[in-house]
Amino acid sequence: MLSVQHVSKSFGNLKALDDINFTIPNGHILGLIGQNGAGKSTTFHSILNFLQYDGKITWQDKPITESVFDQIGYLPEERSLMPKLTVEQQIVYLARLKNKSAKEIRPQIDTWLRKFAVKGTKKDKIKSLSKGNQQKVQLICTLIHNPKLIILDEPFSGLDPVNSDLLKQAIIDARDNGASIIFSSHDMENVEEVCDSLVMLRNGQIVLDGTVGDVRDTFGKTRLFVTTDWTADKLSELPHVVSVTQREKNRYLLDLDDESAGKDIFDELTHGQYIEEFSQQPPTLNEIFRMKAGDRNE
Amino acid sequence: MNKLWIVTFETFLRQVKSWGFVALIIGPFIIFGISIGAGYMSASGASHSDDIAVFGQSELKQAFVKQNKDDIDTSIKSVKSAKKKIKDNKLSGYLILETNNNQVSATYHGSNSMSNSLKNKLTIFTSTVQQQLNYSTAQLSATQAKSLQQQPKFKEVITKKTGTDNLAKMISFWIMVILVYTILVTYTSITAQEIASEKGTKIMEVIFSSTTATKYFIGKVLGVMMVIVTQILIYVIGGWGMFSFAQHSSLTKTALAQNKDLISAVLHNLLSINLVYLLLGVVIYTILAALCGALVAKSEDASKAAQPVTMLSMLAFFVTFPFQNNMDALIVKILSYVPFFSSYFMPMRVINGDASPIEMAISLLILIATIFLMAYYIGKIYQGLMLQTDDSSFWKRLKRGIAYNR
Repeated sequence: MLSVQHVSKSFGNLKALDDINFTIPNGHILGLIGQNGAGKSTTFHSILNFLQYDGKITWQDKPITESVFDQIGYLPEERSLMPKLTVEQQIVYLARLKNKSAKEIRPQIDTWLRKFAVKGTKKDKIKSLSKGNQQKVQLICTLIHNPKLIILDEPFSGLDPVNSDLLKQAIIDARDNGASIIFSSHDMENVEEVCDSLVMLRNGQIVLDGTVGDVRDTFGKTRLFVTTDWTADKLSELPHVVSVTQREKNRYLLDLDDESAGKDIFDELTHGQYIEEFSQQPPTLNEIFRMKAGDRNE
Repeated sequence: MNKLWIVTFETFLRQVKSWGFVALIIGPFIIFGISIGAGYMSASGASHSDDIAVFGQSELKQAFVKQNKDDIDTSIKSVKSAKKKIKDNKLSGYLILETNNNQVSATYHGSNSMSNSLKNKLTIFTSTVQQQLNYSTAQLSATQAKSLQQQPKFKEVITKKTGTDNLAKMISFWIMVILVYTILVTYTSITAQEIASEKGTKIMEVIFSSTTATKYFIGKVLGVMMVIVTQILIYVIGGWGMFSFAQHSSLTKTALAQNKDLISAVLHNLLSINLVYLLLGVVIYTILAALCGALVAKSEDASKAAQPVTMLSMLAFFVTFPFQNNMDALIVKILSYVPFFSSYFMPMRVINGDASPIEMAISLLILIATIFLMAYYIGKIYQGLMLQTDDSSFWKRLKRGIAYNR
């Protein structure tokens, strides 16, 4: 289990992290979300001991020092490999730095290249690969030594939907294998799909924390999708309706300030008659992200 | 330890597999090969114009030819043909060896005087033969013959610096400082670029999540050191091979034999404690170069990274010049203890023979202690230097790098 307790970090007058707390049990995926500059990379750098910080970070109850480096798989935000090495040399070199022998790693390389559908062979130079394929090789370098703590900084950036699915599956496989995984992403769909829990940072502070379902539920089912022949003006006059957005012809999204108003609205709209659509939902992660990020300017 | 070795070996392999290293290694050998080849072609083209032919009494002729094969063209069988070759400038001259009434005579015919070296050999040869004839004619007993062979003893006890000694020092000085300077400039540049090219790249974050920055830094420096040791070993073995070849080659062996004392003195000056100074000098400059590489603003500035170290090395190199004929100067003594300068100045003193073992030990101790302290401190701040990517001034980068992990 990764435990981050009361972690704070300042750069001069800038408080990059302010009393951060979260835990990631074994076999669990945590999504770290937040706007640029919210403190996601600083959190990762603190976990990896690149920075000295106030507070306590432990992995399996031990401080993160060189003795646990071999259990860590880290993918930095920007991709970077050694361009003059071949794919095989690069993977073997980084795996050897994780105390894996070349003998152990070499036979696995082809399987991993196939798993991530890398276009190229292990004998190709890194510089000859496309950017996307270099990114996949870097992902292989992160995962091939079977790490138990995986830290992925924006792993989906630059990947097309097909490759995103491959990565999601690899992350889920690692989780099922008992790894604790933390990744940052701006793509809330991926977070929603893959994460068991999430933490949202804003200005170095945690503003959201919990499972994806719990986080959404805390906002209440204030989004109401209806398909009706009522006009938008008429709908906006209904009680507790904050705004009305027309999505398609006769299809509207109503934002409510009270989720319990849904029943009265349903009665008002249907009068016991058939209605094509009436769906009351919590806000999506994307909307929550926007709301929470928007609070910054309030 | 294992990870340190992995970084060391990877750095070493990457360097020795580069074309730059191959060119660096084979360059001097190619130049040597071309020189030898050109010399050989020229010598072949001259068709042994320095050789002589020998005629006369068969036994004498054979004995002389046997002792001086390299100077004699045995393919010429008659005086007439020898004269023609001399006229065509393909033969230096011809020698006629005879004995008449127990008198050994040697007559040389040539366009120019016989070479001094051959003339000496001929004198010794004819004297020996004449002496044997004299003993035989005088019918001396073995004891009498032995006492007549008694030679005076000649022994040189030199207390004053001789011309050869000074020349050896001068040659050793120049070879040493040029060698130190060339190797330092080459490897500080390689090291600084190697480190700078990784500066601010995210691969450093991946590496620092696998091993400590100190291990990685020391591994890098050791990797470059291994490259240098490899180069020096190749040069020493290759040099020894070329020297052996030159000793047996007809083109060079006479010159080598004539300058045997000088060559021996130069080799003695070079293959001594001075090699340790060369190696440690490269280590300290390499560590400084690594720091400079880590201090560039971004990897694109790699080519500029080595400049400060190159300047320092150049300074030390040029400061040696005024003292090439005055190696006893006080400044030489002082600088022989100052790290970064001692690699130039202590070898100067060693060549001059005025450095005592204690002085050498103190100078080495200062150099080694400085190397350890520098490696320790730079290793400690290395992660901060390598992970920061802000494009500010040199001093700001140094300050932020030091403060990065505080």
